[in-house]
Parts: sequence; structure tokens; C-alpha cells
Amino acid sequence: MKKTLLGLCVAFSAHSIAADQYAFDITLQGYKGDATSSVSYGGQIARHALHNSLKKVVSKGDEATMLQYLSSKASGLEILDPVSKDGFKVKQTQIDELSTGKDLLSSAYDGVVTGWPGNPTGQELLQQLVTLAGKTKNGYDPVNGYDYTQLVSKFAMGAVFYNKAVNHYLEEKLEADQHPNDQAYKKGTAYTGKEHVWDEAFGYFGAPVNGMSLTAKEVVQVTKLNPAVFSKADANGDGVVDLKSEMAYAHAYYAASVDASAGTNYFHTIMQAFIDGRKVITSAKGEVLTDAQRNAIKEQAKIIATAWQQVIAEAAYKYAGSVYSDIEKIAIIEEAHGDVKKAYRNYVKHWGELKGFALALEGAGRDLGNAQAGLDRLIGFSPILFGNTQVVALDGKGGFVQTSAVTMQEYKLNMIKTQNLLAQAFNLKAKLNDRTAGMSDVLKQINAAGNSAEND
Amino acid sequence: MFEVYLGWLEEELASAFSSFFDMGKRVSFVYLISAFFTAAAIFYWRYGKEGFGRMSALLSWRVWWHPSARADYLLWIANRFLLALILPKMLSQAVWVSWLYFFWLEQGFTAFSLGWPDLWVMALFTLCYFLADDFSRFFVHWCLHKNAYLWAFHQVHHSAKVLTPFTVFRTHPVEGVLFLLRSLSVQSVLISVFLLLFPQQVGLWQIFGVIVSSFVFNALGANLRHSGIALSYGEKIERWLISPAQHQLHHSLAREHYDKNFGVILAIWDRMFGSWYKGDDNQVIQYGTGLLIDQQGWLGQWLLPLTQVKGLVSKRVKSIFCICSRWAKRSIPTKGR
Repeated sequence: MKKTLLGLCVAFSAHSIAADQYAFDITLQGYKGDATSSVSYGGQIARHALHNSLKKVVSKGDEATMLQYLSSKASGLEILDPVSKDGFKVKQTQIDELSTGKDLLSSAYDGVVTGWPGNPTGQELLQQLVTLAGKTKNGYDPVNGYDYTQLVSKFAMGAVFYNKAVNHYLEEKLEADQHPNDQAYKKGTAYTGKEHVWDEAFGYFGAPVNGMSLTAKEVVQVTKLNPAVFSKADANGDGVVDLKSEMAYAHAYYAASVDASAGTNYFHTIMQAFIDGRKVITSAKGEVLTDAQRNAIKEQAKIIATAWQQVIAEAAYKYAGSVYSDIEKIAIIEEAHGDVKKAYRNYVKHWGELKGFALALEGAGRDLGNAQAGLDRLIGFSPILFGNTQVVALDGKGGFVQTSAVTMQEYKLNMIKTQNLLAQAFNLKAKLNDRTAGMSDVLKQINAAGNSAEND
Repeated sequence: MFEVYLGWLEEELASAFSSFFDMGKRVSFVYLISAFFTAAAIFYWRYGKEGFGRMSALLSWRVWWHPSARADYLLWIANRFLLALILPKMLSQAVWVSWLYFFWLEQGFTAFSLGWPDLWVMALFTLCYFLADDFSRFFVHWCLHKNAYLWAFHQVHHSAKVLTPFTVFRTHPVEGVLFLLRSLSVQSVLISVFLLLFPQQVGLWQIFGVIVSSFVFNALGANLRHSGIALSYGEKIERWLISPAQHQLHHSLAREHYDKNFGVILAIWDRMFGSWYKGDDNQVIQYGTGLLIDQQGWLGQWLLPLTQVKGLVSKRVKSIFCICSRWAKRSIPTKGR
């Protein structure tokens, strides 16, 4: 009797773990291959590895290598990040082991991005940033105040991963006439059309399959390849972390990072919605999804898209706070006639992160309304530079044009306004590095209380 | 183009009527009903069943469909449309608060973080918000009566011949903008100072998303202020809180009631400024100004004050010109002296 109970408990707990994982059996009717799982998103993980590696290369400033990782689709590319280290061994070392013939550029947003001089498309901007990075030393342009490592990385995450997931897979591809669930995605695949569409979106989020059984702090440490979490990261216990399924990338990392610092729940909300949506598709057992089922997965898609957007906006919010602090530090050092080189470098880095995330919000074809114009104006095309100048346009040869602007101290006010705008437009929760002293919460209450135009 | 315009009109109308379901607005159904029951309960307690007879003014269609009441409704909608065009051009609350908060920081004030418990901060902020809001309403209202230019606009509100809860919307758009500027300025100063003193702690004590003082004020019959129901709180309470009867006196045509009871919730400001006057359940009041404005429709209510202000300005300019020319004549040395 005791053994039966114990057996039941073990079976139940095993089932619970399985239910927590992003793992689903084959439902495709008539499938005769050897595969046992219907989950596949190797192409998305290959792009994550390309992005991680590109970030490493940009910081070295070698344009030819950058282009290899950005747009070449070349075979034989080495994964530059994540790579094995003592106590944290990863399974793959080559991009081809994840998927072949993939690149970042062709998947990037092809609509207009208004937050950069010249109104380029997302793809043009990504290409332009990499080309400009190639003309600098280590991806740093102190004259115009650009840190290309940050700009390229933060914008690419939005223009490729966030864009493809929320603007493509979780939107038009969920319609009934796109990739129906009673057919294989492509001839010979072990998964249905809708299963793969959903899985590709999940792949772009960048969460490990066992994300629900990891805390936000642990997810962060997985990305940082911390040996202390290796055993938890290695979900299948084979002694290596499989980059295809057990690593945390991009916005999954940022979601967890925000949660770890602020106690919010973005990572697990998104992860759970992906699992719940996939369960609905799996429950159709290879039949065409009914309208009710498609509505159910659209509901989950909405949760994902909203929380994902909030994660990017939370990151922008945090770095607006950092830019504010950097300007304060620069002022103090200047007053003491000290060397501002290091403080200025940090200012440019944080501005690059702020701008990169703000551009990422624009890079997915979602209507941001007034917030987009507000962010463009408040952040500008560059940070305020020494001499109170700022990049305002591109000249005929593609060079940056600077003119006089507000003072660096006045630009701090723009950062407060940026934080307020982000908090209100995207209904932010974490609001890390808040330099507004909690202003947006009070304003929300006051607005509810009503600004009265009536008298008695 | 025409469709876009129609769409905008429709949206604004819908937004105006949504006030009936918005607990932040005085004319929400909840408050209209609660005002009715508050008055009924008090009159029953004071006068027994006969007290219910005093409620008749609130239920009379002659009041609700009086030409004056109809002008209230039209002004409400017309002002909505006009203010919808003007307000987006004004700086938002967030911009005002951000600028002021930043201004304090730049003046060398740093975020204090006094370390008070959150509940205390919330209570103090709510109290200060209530006092600042109520006093500023009183003071702007007082100015509207004491200054000839401002009175030209405020007379629109006093031109109502009958009072209904919708008379609160019977204002000139210029007065609407003034009151909006009032709330923006008072709130911005208060919020920015509190954020400096208590960063990350500032919050309002709210009920159903409405600041507690407004909720209690509205729930207990704020709508009766503009109604034919004379409800006094009794002199003791009226020395602290303005009753509906006291506000109705403020609308009175009788000379002895001129410039009395400017307050909204608290009566202490009127006592401080010497304009307090007690109300009475049995008071009989004739409303209006006795001026030309009383006879105007909604468009006249908009235009007449502008004409009058224009007249006042040109009169003032002429008198300044006369003074200047007299002064100039005196300054020229007379021949032979």
C-alpha cells in the first residue's frame, strides 16, 4: 500500500514537472517518422546565438566578422557566446549545430523606425549600425555619443526576436488560413502548422524549456553561465547545457532580470502563457483548430505580447534612470575638475541601452500612439554631448549632423519625463532605477481623482 | 473629412455621458441617487413623512425642463467640445509635475526620505491635497466675484434661474480653463513637494478610485447644492461644512446674500474672509443675477461675457490714455514761467 502511494506521488510529481516544461508530444495525424517531440525552434535559437556572438564582435569593432553574424547565412560560424567554461559546459560550439542557413538581418522589421535620423527601416537601421560600428574602435564613438555594442544588441533583439514573435507568429500566423493544424508545417516535419508557429514564437522569447521550475534569479544566472545553477540549467541531466532548449537568451533574460530585482512576474507570466497556448494547440490532436481554440490561443498571445512589450519598456525605464545618474556624476566630477572620461563612457553606454530598447519598442510594427513621438523627442538622436550639442540629422553623405541643444543638466529632466511616459504608456510595474520618486503612480491616482474644470 | 469630424463629435458625446457612470464625477448615477436618499433621510428625521414634500423640487419636470436648465445641458455639451479642442494644447499634468520636481532638485533640494511609515505619508498627503484643493477652489471663486473682468465670465454660472445638479456645468469656457489651471498648479506644487519629502511613498487615500474626501462629499449629497432642495446642516455644522442651503444662498438674487458662501466643502475659508452666511431649511430664494445674461441662450452665454470684457478693456485703455495725456500736458514747461 505504502509503495503504491509512493509510486503515485512520484508519478504525480513527475507529471507536474513534465507539465511545467515546454515539451509536447506529436499530434500530427499520420506521422510515421522517428521523432518523439513535436517541439522545434532550432532556427530561432541559431539567431539567438548569432545575436549573442554579434554583440561580442561589435565590441571588437571588426566589420567583416560583424556582417558574417548579421547577414551572411554562412556555414562554419563559431558560437562566440555562450561558450563552455569551468563548471558550465554547453553542448554546441557551432551555429550549424543549431540550424543552418540562418541570419538576423533578413528577419528584422522592415517598417520605418522614426527614432533614428533619416527614418530608416528596421533592416536598414540594423545594417547601418553595424557598418558604423565597423568604423569605430571597439564599437565606441565618443564624438557622437554612440555605443554600438549596446545599440546593435538592444535594437536587434526588438527588431528580430520581438518583431517576429509578436508581429508575425503571434499575430497573422494565428489566422485560420495560415499553417493549419491538420497538416504538417512542411512535408516530413513531425509537427503541425500551428504547433510550429507557436514554437517559433516561443523560441524567439529565449526561455529554457524548464523555465517554470526556475526562479527569476536562477534564469539570470543561467544566462551568466554561473556554475552554481548548472545542475538546474541541465534539465535533462546529460551533463551539458543544450543551447537549443536549456539556455536563457535575450528578452527572457531581461524579463527574469527585471523580476529578480523588482519582484514582478513578467518571465513566468510569459512562459506560462506560451505553455497554456501550446496546450490548447496540442489538445486539438492534429485537427484544425476551432474558432474557440484559436480565440483561446489569441488570448494567450495577447498576454505574451503585452508583457513582452512591458519588459522592453521596463529595461528602457531602468536605463533612463542610469542616464540621469550618469549626468549627475559628470557634473560632480566636472565641478571638482576631475577626469570625466570614465563617467562619460558610462553615460554613452547607458544611453545606448536606453535608445536601443526605445528603438526596439518601435521595431515591431505595434502602434505606440503618442508615446512613440514622445520617446523620440525626449531621448533624441544622441545623448547631449559636451558643449551642449546633439545629433539632429544625417548629412548627404550619411554623416551625423550636430547642432546646439539643451544643456546636459536640462537633459536630465528629459529622463524624468521619459520615465513618466514609459510608466504611463506601458503600465509598468517594476520601474527600476526610478528617478521620479514614484511620480507616475501619484499622477495615475490624481488623474483618476479628476482634474476639475468645473466650479460651484 | 466629414466622417472624421462626426466620429470625433460622437466620441466626445459618449465621453460626456460616461460621466454618469464615473465615480470620479459628481453627476454619476450613484451620487445622484445617494443625494436623493440623503436628503430624504434627513427630512424624514427632521419633519417626519411631511418632510418628503420638501423633495418635490428635485422631481419636478418643470425644473428639469426649464429653459434655464436646458441652457445648462447645452452649455455642458458645447463646453465639452470646445475644451476638447483647447485642452490638448495645454501642458499635461505629468509635464508640470516633472518640471517642478526637477526645479526643486536643481535648486539644491535633494530627496529627503524622512522615513515616515507609508500610511502616515498617505494620510498627510490626502489631508494636504484636500485642504489645498478646497482652499484654492474657494479663493479662485472669491476672485471670480471680486474682479470685474472675472465676474463677466462667472456671471454665466449665476445666471441660472433654476438649479439642477447639471448647473455645475453651466460655466463659461474661460472659467473652465481657469479652474483647470488652478487644479494643475495646486496639484503640481503639492505633488512635487511631497515627492521631494517622501520619495516612492506618496499616495492618495481612495475609495472606489476616488479621493476619500470627494467620495464622502459627493455620496452625502453634493448634488443637492445645485437643486431646489433647501437642506441646512444646522448652524453648528455649517460653521465647518458648507450645506446645500448655504450654496443656494450664494446663488440668491437678494442683495443681502451677495458674495456669501464661496466655499465648496469647508466653511472655514468663508469665516476667514468674512463671507460666511448660515442656511435654513425654510429659506425661499430667487435665483439669477437680474442682469442681461439671465436671458441668454448657450451661445449668448458664451459671447456676452466676451463683449463685456472687451468693453471693460477699452474703457480701461481710454482712462489710461487720458491719465497719460494729462500727465504729458503737465510735464511740458509753460511759456514765460
